[in-house]
Amino acid sequence: MMAAGRCRAGRAEILANLLLVLVLFAGTHALAIGGLELNPSAWSAPWTGDVVLVSAGLLFLGLAVLMPLHAGLLNLAVHAQFLAGFAVGALLVRSAAVDPAAQAGLGLLCGALAGAITGMVVAWLKQRCAIHEVLSGLLLSVAFAPLALALAVTRVTPPALTIELSALTAPLSWAEALRLPPSLVLAWGILLLSLAIALALLFAHFLRASVWGFEVRASGSNPLAAVATGMDVDRVQLTVMALGGACAGLTGALQLWTSPAVALERWPFPLGFAGVAVAFLGLGSVRGTILAALLLGAWLNTPYASDVLSRPGYGAAIAALLLLPVLWTLPRLFPEHGAPRAIWRTRHRESL
Amino acid sequence: MGGKDAGLEIRGLSVADGDRWLVRDVSISVPPGALHMVLGERGAGKSALLEAAAGLRREAKGSIHFGAAEDGAAAKQRRALAAFNPREIPAVSLTVTERLLLHRPPRVAGVALHRERGRAAARAIASRVGVESLLDVTIEALRPLERRLVELAAGVARGPAALLLDEPTADLGPHEARQFLATARSLAEAEKIPILFTTTWPRDAYPDAIGVTILWRGADPATVTTKECTEAALVQRWTGGIGIRRTPTGPHTPGDTLLRVEGIVMEGRGRETSLAGIEFEVKSGEVLAVVGAPADGLNLLHDALLGNRVPGRGSILFLGKEIVRSPRRLRVEAGMTFVNPPIARDQSVPEFTVEENLILGQTHVPPFARKGSLRYESIRGNAVRALQDFDLPDVTPRTRFRELSLGARQRVLVAREVIHNPRLLVARSPAQGLSLTEQEYVRRTLVLQCERGSGLLWLTEEPEEAMRVADRLAVLTAGRLVWIPVTETLTREAIIAEMSGAAA
Repeated sequence: MMAAGRCRAGRAEILANLLLVLVLFAGTHALAIGGLELNPSAWSAPWTGDVVLVSAGLLFLGLAVLMPLHAGLLNLAVHAQFLAGFAVGALLVRSAAVDPAAQAGLGLLCGALAGAITGMVVAWLKQRCAIHEVLSGLLLSVAFAPLALALAVTRVTPPALTIELSALTAPLSWAEALRLPPSLVLAWGILLLSLAIALALLFAHFLRASVWGFEVRASGSNPLAAVATGMDVDRVQLTVMALGGACAGLTGALQLWTSPAVALERWPFPLGFAGVAVAFLGLGSVRGTILAALLLGAWLNTPYASDVLSRPGYGAAIAALLLLPVLWTLPRLFPEHGAPRAIWRTRHRESL
Repeated sequence: MGGKDAGLEIRGLSVADGDRWLVRDVSISVPPGALHMVLGERGAGKSALLEAAAGLRREAKGSIHFGAAEDGAAAKQRRALAAFNPREIPAVSLTVTERLLLHRPPRVAGVALHRERGRAAARAIASRVGVESLLDVTIEALRPLERRLVELAAGVARGPAALLLDEPTADLGPHEARQFLATARSLAEAEKIPILFTTTWPRDAYPDAIGVTILWRGADPATVTTKECTEAALVQRWTGGIGIRRTPTGPHTPGDTLLRVEGIVMEGRGRETSLAGIEFEVKSGEVLAVVGAPADGLNLLHDALLGNRVPGRGSILFLGKEIVRSPRRLRVEAGMTFVNPPIARDQSVPEFTVEENLILGQTHVPPFARKGSLRYESIRGNAVRALQDFDLPDVTPRTRFRELSLGARQRVLVAREVIHNPRLLVARSPAQGLSLTEQEYVRRTLVLQCERGSGLLWLTEEPEEAMRVADRLAVLTAGRLVWIPVTETLTREAIIAEMSGAAA
């Protein structure tokens, strides 16, 4: 029986990623102590529970990349799905017709739905027009950015929505207009992290024990064989893209109701793409992704991370560091070097 | 070092992949103007040997010499001196002219392409292999033989000291293989360069190769000359003398009609021969073999049976029901099953375990699934039984499929297809590239299935294989079937003559 969300990498890759996390923690600490003027209030601030909420957001984004990855799709549309969720959530906040008490729940639901639809559009474009999901995903990300910015609640640009590498140069006041009590952070965080972990474990279980999971794995590993043995690869990929999109869309909408949890805004590149870093740092396995999300959430909440990321140069270096695992994980996804081989294909049939 | 009029000498070459030996202690000497063949099953290390000789792979031991040089050539020198043609030729959209000029296109002032000179140069190169009429045809539209000839011409046009061809006859019919090797030999003689090629077919040694090196896993490589060794002796030497019977289980008594193909007309891709009204039927308990070159309609017929392509006209009736437009899934559910060549990529998931590969395509019905959940007890039990029945004692249900040898993989796949007792088996070259022992096992297993009442349609490009298994035999030539009675006097040459049209 294939292990659920089995790690696609060998010992060397696992070691490399652990080393990278160590460098991330130790490096930012060293930079903060050695080269920056420390902000004493940040260092002495009490724990707010941000780490829980941030980890939940990162895990949802990681799952948004991980689920399609198992079915042979590289979901670089994760940022587009994130933006779609954010835009729909913002639209609801702007709408006076919706009861403020119901806004949050409805916003998250609609955000997830918007993300799912975006994911399905990407899968549909691949199936009908042979447009690779990497291309359509990136183009949609660029197209959705102005929309999300236009619909944002205040005029202050939320850094996580911008495409270019942005540094945290000003206090994150953009979402203060929502006036949510800070006490909600921990409650939201625990609820969402539980939901994210439950979703991840459920996905792992289905992947291992269900016919649907078998089809997902077969579609990701060898779509030619999957089609030849009667599986509907297109339907499987559409489903996982919808699921992944829902996770990303939910995280996007979440940005509107988690203003005190600003730690996510410290992410050094467009937040949607955090899913790529989390999934690849987790080496494409469910367990690895959960671990990566928790570690990165903790790292973002260390008092020195905020200081270091506020410097553009350091922010860019850390962004590069976070994306390094792509270098040694992605080659394993090329044909003849492991699963899923489907990633480089747009068609699933061939003749002898 | 090297240059024309120089031979190729490989001395004690060993190549490893990590801690696994791919080939050990191979010595080959090929004089200028001669063809030398390396014979071995898939996975025997033939490609690794050629890649090392071409400087594309590092050798663990030994040396490669071009000409009379005493010092072995370094990898960089070998890359410059030898031309290497890989087994897979990408179906690119370049024209033949563009492909032939890819290496050194004539230029104007070193920048722009000189169209007229280029065309003249391409014509001169192409005429050496007889494809000058195809200069404007794209590579993807060519027949496999034409592609191979173009690659051969392109390789020679580089002016190499040696030409290394990896399984150039893999996708050719026997008559096409002969034509290709005869052309290669004439080019070798004209250019005075040695040609080293690999193959899985002992027949490719005759009449053009002067020597054969046999690679056999677990045994030392052996080299023989074709003058001192007949083809039968070569096979004997390769296999260690296993007995191969003409028909594994004797003639069969046909029963009801399972499959009826009527008037199939199908347009070929590119320069592939179209099907021009194919008609045949397969009955339960019989083996019908259809022999033909892949580009002579065999691939098209296989595609039509698989459901990959819909014929322009005609019908395919399975158990009296029209299936010409049905997808493969419905055909399988109706009781058809397919066994493709061992290297076909649409049969297995290498990353899955053996037990998972054994249930591919059977997860929607009991006993392997129930209410959307997999039942691993049934899956494991099925795998244990299959591995026992198909003589794979060293393989466990949880062994990764990619870790198996090619022969063991094909046994697992054959097990998957026959274990649920299908009504009709469609086998397309199911033993291609396997060792002769494995070939025999696969053939015997499939033919034995006929005795359980299944019908067997055997599509192959290899006349000998068809002769071994067939109750009835048809040759696919020029898009039509020519029926040949299966008698004791039927020879391979007679079938090849039909395939090439020489019989007419």
